[in-house]
Amino acid sequence: MISRRNALKTSAGFAAAATVGAPSILHAQTATLKITTWGGKWGDIMKATVLPAFEKEHKCTVSADQAFPFLPKLQASKKNDPLYDVFHTNSNEQWSALTEGLVMDKFTTKEVPNIADVYPYAVSDKIVGVTIFTSAIGLGYRTDKGLTPPKSWKDLADPKLAGQRGGYLIPVNSLGQCHLMMLGKVYGRGLQDLDAAYKALEQLKPIKLVDFTGQMEKMLLSAEVSEGVIHDSGVYRYEGANRQPVDFCSPTEGVMALEQVLNVPPGSKLKELAYAYIDYMLRPDVQKLLAEAVWYSPANRKVKLSEKYDAKLLTTPERVATLIQPDWKWYNARKDDIDARVTKILKG
Amino acid sequence: MSAVPNKMPFDPGRAAYVTLNVVLLGFLLAPIAIVLVFAFNPTPYISFPPVGVSLRWFDKFFASSDFMNALWLSLWIAACVLVLAVVIGGACALALARGNLPGRGFFTAFFMSPLMLPAILTGLALFQSYLLVGIGRPVWGLIMAHTLIAVPYVLRTTLAVLHNFDRRIEEAAAVLGASPLRVFFEVTLPLIRPGVFAGGVFAFIVSFDQFPVSLFLVVPKGETLPVVLFNYMKFDLDGAIAAASMVSILLALAVVLVLERLIGLKAYVKL
Amino acid sequence: MDRRIVLRHDAEPMAAASRPSPIAWLIAPALLLFVLFFVLPFGVMAVMSVFSGNPVTNPNAFLTTRHYMRFIADDAGIFHDALWATLRIGLVTTVVSLLIGYPLAHWMARMQSRLGHVLVLMAVIAPLLTGIVVRTFAWMTILQDKGVINTTLMSWGLIHKPLPLMYNEFGTTVALVHIYVPFMVLTLTGVIGRIDERLEQAARSLGAGRLRAFVEVTLPLSLPGVLAGSLLVFALSISAYVTPSLMGGTDVLTLPMLIAQQVGTSFNPNFAGALGMILLLVCLVIVIAYNKILARLSGEKGLA
Repeated sequence: MISRRNALKTSAGFAAAATVGAPSILHAQTATLKITTWGGKWGDIMKATVLPAFEKEHKCTVSADQAFPFLPKLQASKKNDPLYDVFHTNSNEQWSALTEGLVMDKFTTKEVPNIADVYPYAVSDKIVGVTIFTSAIGLGYRTDKGLTPPKSWKDLADPKLAGQRGGYLIPVNSLGQCHLMMLGKVYGRGLQDLDAAYKALEQLKPIKLVDFTGQMEKMLLSAEVSEGVIHDSGVYRYEGANRQPVDFCSPTEGVMALEQVLNVPPGSKLKELAYAYIDYMLRPDVQKLLAEAVWYSPANRKVKLSEKYDAKLLTTPERVATLIQPDWKWYNARKDDIDARVTKILKG
Repeated sequence: MSAVPNKMPFDPGRAAYVTLNVVLLGFLLAPIAIVLVFAFNPTPYISFPPVGVSLRWFDKFFASSDFMNALWLSLWIAACVLVLAVVIGGACALALARGNLPGRGFFTAFFMSPLMLPAILTGLALFQSYLLVGIGRPVWGLIMAHTLIAVPYVLRTTLAVLHNFDRRIEEAAAVLGASPLRVFFEVTLPLIRPGVFAGGVFAFIVSFDQFPVSLFLVVPKGETLPVVLFNYMKFDLDGAIAAASMVSILLALAVVLVLERLIGLKAYVKL
Repeated sequence: MDRRIVLRHDAEPMAAASRPSPIAWLIAPALLLFVLFFVLPFGVMAVMSVFSGNPVTNPNAFLTTRHYMRFIADDAGIFHDALWATLRIGLVTTVVSLLIGYPLAHWMARMQSRLGHVLVLMAVIAPLLTGIVVRTFAWMTILQDKGVINTTLMSWGLIHKPLPLMYNEFGTTVALVHIYVPFMVLTLTGVIGRIDERLEQAARSLGAGRLRAFVEVTLPLSLPGVLAGSLLVFALSISAYVTPSLMGGTDVLTLPMLIAQQVGTSFNPNFAGALGMILLLVCLVIVIAYNKILARLSGEKGLA
């Protein structure tokens, strides 16, 4: 165990070094690639295996920011000296970033060779940047509550689930936003039929709303809700010792895509290295490692996952075809109005 | 110097008073009891009743360099903030209470305003300013930001004590020949100690528990504990955060104990 | 104003009332800290609130009042509600914190045993040290439908459906009170501790009951502490957003939550800045009013 005295001395030394000007020390030696990353298991694997391997290969250091949210910080930094060289976030945020000129639009095989091997969804017109992983947003449900397993998105509105269903705070969570659009498709004319979506939302009350998927996962595990909107990863990752009677359903109307997208700010001074990083993240071995760690579906077609992952994730063209990618550009333009409207609808 | 002892063997009024306080303390401590249970409960989600006792979360916490670095950094920053806030805030309180400044009301409100603004704005504003000026996100920038937030607390508690202060004690000392400086150090300071102590405790806690401001001002590998916990929680809501909590409570309580010995509330000197 | 100036030991009578004393210089470090780390950044925020974008990074940003207009017009119908909700939750939290915090502070201040005192102090502070995140989840464990309270009450057969203790203003207020009671206690205990117990005893020896002695002697003398503590808790609770977000679902939307949303998910720091300015303005008004009351009460009470 570290003694407090030593730890305090170390921290003091650390703090002193940090104030003296660590960045300049680092720049003198090697380039520092500034990226963003999620925490949890993903972050652990990144820091333990994926990043050190990249650092070794390209003789650089990678500085990974884990303090979410990232876009406000990128926004506040100067365009010609952005806070990040590689920006990893979900597709809705990438689109918001694009409208402010904070990220690039598309990459080609010239910058990122491995793009040649990805599924079409990873570089479709609904994406800015390139998708490295995706998840399916569907319904998670408890199998021990005597309910018939859901088959359609409409099953969430089952009156028997009153007070036992879970959703998200739409203004702050992209799964909630996807759910709203899906309601328009299922009950109305399509993903952009907001009127139908609002009506359907009204019917879902009472519903327990949470901020982020981690909370939904726990609500399902502790049976606080019997059914909720969640992505496949959030259900499948609790296997083995953590197994609870929770299962995932891909509704017949289709699943929405929750995408992990990488992009590069145009003002970055380390573009070549950034592209190399994205290429690296699309390599089959790296893809396999991360996909199996957190149950994400890899964007690279050539990745072969182990049996149990392959069975459940989106690893064939048929399964990939069930993914529905929303038009985030359209949604973001209306976000303020939508936020206000859903807040009013869902208020007690 | 001590209270008049009760002559009755059982005093219902007093019993009610103590019971009430114990119940209120229970309210304060209940969540901590839950955290304790959560820290030892092996299931990786909040469940009640607990299913067992296990040390796995403590193992996970101590094994994580993220958590440990963050813990020490938070303690270190909080200690710096404590000193800075007490000195700056205490001086300011004296100036406001005794300095006969014009616009005292305005100044008091001004120095209280960091409390009223959502810390996320304070954090964002400081972040933008730091970037604008070009200093990046150094640790001392984080310390000053925390100090900014801590000073209003110290100010408030010290002012409250100064208001109730019997100036005649100081005047008596002066009349007996003590110089103003001596009066200050040997009479004033000891008597306002409770206010300063309360303020110091606040400053430490406020910095240690600070989240929104830190969110914008921490750098990779230089994150404070609340930031690390919050981010951890978004992905892995399990007992590790409860274990982290327990450890930080114990450490912080140790610090408060040390403070209590040094500055102390023993200054209830009644003349 | 301060009648005691007449007795100051530097022996400058009435003239001293109009001139600041050298002690006033002690305000300098605080002023410097605030100017550098508060005024300047807030200048930045105020500027942002009247621009359409970030003027530093975006050459196309122009001056506009639209953010303020958006709040005032409140087409969405949620902004004014958010302001009232903020003030309402703040007020309720303050009052409840006072009701809980005063007895605890009184007990602590009057405690004879040093050990007891330290123990209660630790108990009072411990909630604050758990950390905002974990504390909120502890409350979730207690208040949820499957939480401690509901499962216990249901297993005793006292209720048949879980009580809605969370995801609403009740849960939010409980969690906020829990965080802020320690602040109230610590503020009050110093003040109460300084009140001479013999004043109360004198009243009692003159025939007043314990309660009366408390209400007519201790309580008025502790008023500066009451107001200081209330002001502190009020200011804190109206700027809280992490706890209400985690505890309130959509039932609760306060101005700070709105600000956090604008910054973190709508990426509109300009509107967030305007909202922040509005919140700050409303609160400064309240604080200045409070301080005037405080000054008047202190001045009138003086020394017993």
